[in-house]
Amino acid sequence: MTTHTPAIETAPSATRKEPSYLDVTKGFWSWAGTLDHKRIGIMYLVGVTAAFLCGGLLALLIRLHLWTPEGMLFENGVYNQVFTLHGVFMVFLFIIPAIPASIGNFVLPLMLGAPDVALPRLNLASFYLWLVGSILTVYSIITGAVDTGWTFYTPYSIETQTSVLSMGLAIFVLGFSSIFTGLNFIVTIHKMRARGQGWFKMPLFCWAIYATSVLQVLATPVLGVTVLLLAFEHIYNIGIFDPAYGGDPILFQHFFWFYSHPAVYIMILPAMGVISEVVSVHSRKPLFGYKLIAFSSISIAVISFLVWGHHMYTSGQSEFVMMAFSFLTMLVAIPTAIKVFSWVATIWGGSVALSAPMLYAISFIIIFTIGGLTGVFLGALSVDIHLHDTYFVVAHFHAVMMGSTALAFFAGIHHWWPKMFGVMYDERLAKISAVLILIGFNVTFLPQFKMGSLGMPRRYATYVEQFQIYHQVSTVGAMILGVGFALMLGYLLHSLVAGRRARANEWGGVTLDWHTPTPPNLYNFDDEPVMAGKLYDYTELDISPTGEATFKAHKSTATVGSKA
Amino acid sequence: MSKPSHESHESHQSPDTHGHGAAVVDHTHHPHVCAWQTFVGIYAALLFLTFVTVGVAEPVSGLHLGSMSMVVAMLVAALKASLVMTVFMHLKWDTAINNIAFLGSLIFLSLLFLFTLVDHSTRGEADPQAGTPAPYARQAKFVDD
Amino acid sequence: MSGHATIVTPTPEGFRPHAVAHHFKTAEQEFQAGKLGFWLFLATEIMLFGGLFAAYFLYHGVYAETFRVGGSTLNWHLGAFNTVLLLTSSWTMAMAVRASQLSNRKALIGFLSLTWLCAAGFMVVKYFEYTYKFSHGIGPGYFFAPEGHYAELFAGLPFPNLYFALYFTMTGIHGLHVLVGMGLIAWLIVRSSKGHFHSGFYTPVELVGLYWHVVDLIWIFLFPLLYLVP
Repeated sequence: MTTHTPAIETAPSATRKEPSYLDVTKGFWSWAGTLDHKRIGIMYLVGVTAAFLCGGLLALLIRLHLWTPEGMLFENGVYNQVFTLHGVFMVFLFIIPAIPASIGNFVLPLMLGAPDVALPRLNLASFYLWLVGSILTVYSIITGAVDTGWTFYTPYSIETQTSVLSMGLAIFVLGFSSIFTGLNFIVTIHKMRARGQGWFKMPLFCWAIYATSVLQVLATPVLGVTVLLLAFEHIYNIGIFDPAYGGDPILFQHFFWFYSHPAVYIMILPAMGVISEVVSVHSRKPLFGYKLIAFSSISIAVISFLVWGHHMYTSGQSEFVMMAFSFLTMLVAIPTAIKVFSWVATIWGGSVALSAPMLYAISFIIIFTIGGLTGVFLGALSVDIHLHDTYFVVAHFHAVMMGSTALAFFAGIHHWWPKMFGVMYDERLAKISAVLILIGFNVTFLPQFKMGSLGMPRRYATYVEQFQIYHQVSTVGAMILGVGFALMLGYLLHSLVAGRRARANEWGGVTLDWHTPTPPNLYNFDDEPVMAGKLYDYTELDISPTGEATFKAHKSTATVGSKA
Repeated sequence: MSKPSHESHESHQSPDTHGHGAAVVDHTHHPHVCAWQTFVGIYAALLFLTFVTVGVAEPVSGLHLGSMSMVVAMLVAALKASLVMTVFMHLKWDTAINNIAFLGSLIFLSLLFLFTLVDHSTRGEADPQAGTPAPYARQAKFVDD
Repeated sequence: MSGHATIVTPTPEGFRPHAVAHHFKTAEQEFQAGKLGFWLFLATEIMLFGGLFAAYFLYHGVYAETFRVGGSTLNWHLGAFNTVLLLTSSWTMAMAVRASQLSNRKALIGFLSLTWLCAAGFMVVKYFEYTYKFSHGIGPGYFFAPEGHYAELFAGLPFPNLYFALYFTMTGIHGLHVLVGMGLIAWLIVRSSKGHFHSGFYTPVELVGLYWHVVDLIWIFLFPLLYLVP
């Protein structure tokens, strides 16, 4: 096992031909009106991080509240609002846009050798839609918050006097932001690939983003119409979801989960893409089973449309469809397991660098395996009847959303940080925070699996005394997580002002994104790249004794001169 | 405008501008121009099918097709829709991916229809007591049983 | 990559030249990218309306008799007339796209104007249908309080409100799309008269055309489902 020799202050690698995208223009409006995918990606990064901090703060408050059986902080109604807002912030404002819209926006065109996404104006528009959606979310909080849970189940969401209407509108707008991002990426992948880059010469992150985008385009409109109909219930009582008017509340759940189950894969697929890249680069080995991983992304996307009913086993839907949904749910395990095996096989025998991104990636693999396996429990109809709406479910989806997607997001941030900003953070602190987060996560959520299986229901403001020890351990874990994240925020921000200059190819990546100057030019590449060689061909790198990676005279990637 | 079009129906397969090495790339876009007679023909067919829709509808004709009436109405509508899609929207001459993008949505939509409707038509079959409450006619049937 | 020469598409005499956006290599790439993006957007429209159709089929199955009676209160003559209007507008739109491909500015403006007029006619008919229903206490949700013979007609039927909630919601969202389409077509007419669209660049006409056909497609299904309830 070798490690990259770290942190000798290196001279600026080569004199740049053009200024970087960060230097090319300055001032507020050069960012607010930018069409550059990289700047839009950075703006998203700032936005989703802010959302993550808000959501995380709410999570800490929830955990603090649950320190004692009768609840320490809130009245019961306020507690309902707090966990609802935690869910809405984390799901709609953070996780769904986090990887595609920030890292994806930044990295995807680079990986395709393109100067920008196909539709840059739409890209900026979707950022502003996200912003409007966020403002509407905050507006709903000020005007009475929402106490329905992030799922907005009818008929309670029709009866409640809280701001369901404006929150619904916020989600409608956020949905269209997500749709436009996905649409843009599909077009970009189809139409903007470098010369010589066939579909199977795309890095796996692009495949993951592609599968995600298909889901965003096809599933999100159904969420749109669902919240629209919910808004109509509030405006003129359309009655479609209201049994008092002849409607069927279970139809709401069908509509909601037709979107929100694929949305689970909107969250996890890009994370898997990030992990594929990080694992390959930091093991300095081509990915094991490239095509299998690519196709498993697509098959996860397709299967995700067939399994939404497993969220509704206790809703009163027909037993026949429940059995069908339970069977179909088991199918998801196949492509998912293929991915995990492929990552492990990639690491096996690789030249593994235990760098910060790799630590996050390994944490991802561990926690994702826990989340995936417990998902099989919950997909099994009979078991789920017992576990439904308990902390077991809470722990399961936090393992997938927080322990996997959020960790992959941070793996990606640490991996591409030097490419994004041209600076490096303190790797020692980064490793400490990665370990803290891995420990904190498990301390928080393993007790929740246990108390869930013992029958502790989710979303309760109070609980019986026998669960107190689990809740307290869980709260301690959440505090460890909080410390880990605060530390991360600290050293990342510090690196922006005082970090060492990043090397031209910090980790020794070979995909096209690492062929750009660091940080990239406004239109990314000095010369238009052509992919002539293999993908993930690490033999094209020369590694100096100091760990500096340089390309051997462009063996796999030729360029054509600029056309001017 | 009635330039009888010799240009019509030359099928320009749009050149794939990426992915296949540095082949000579056609820089211009060549539109596929459809003959105006084709458009008129499709328009006439659409009007005729509208006439059929109205003609076979129970409230107008008094025909009693029973459960088939919905099927017939939807089949005629689907036929009209496919005429609009293939010719007016040029899908017949369009790239494969544009066809997939649009028609794919119909496939996924059919999944939404499939599961929600199957749920409704089989609800309460295993355990009538656990079925959904009131307004549904099906539930009433089980109470009678 | 910054040294791209700007590509200008071939422009017939008297039209405004179109410069390909800097990040595309060819005009064909630009056209196809825009078009694929728009097809995907139309797919989202299908999914959005699809949810409403799913609700319709579901409740039609549960309350068949209510839906039949509800549908019988709509004037199918007006519905059929509106269908013909929209089909006609779809045809004129297809002809407008063709005119733009052939750089025929006069025909382009003419067909676009016809399309706009058909759309306006559609909305006028809808306006009269809506106001008539409202004046008899037939509205969606809270506004459903049938008067006179409507009250007798619906007596004893389960949840007639649901049929009208669906009727107003589906035709309302569809009508909103018609209004948006009218705005887009008006915008096209203005730009056409300035000579912006020709055989070398007609993407906006093509895309608005596709949008308009989808508006027509949805009505093709709405008409038999709402006016001629099977």
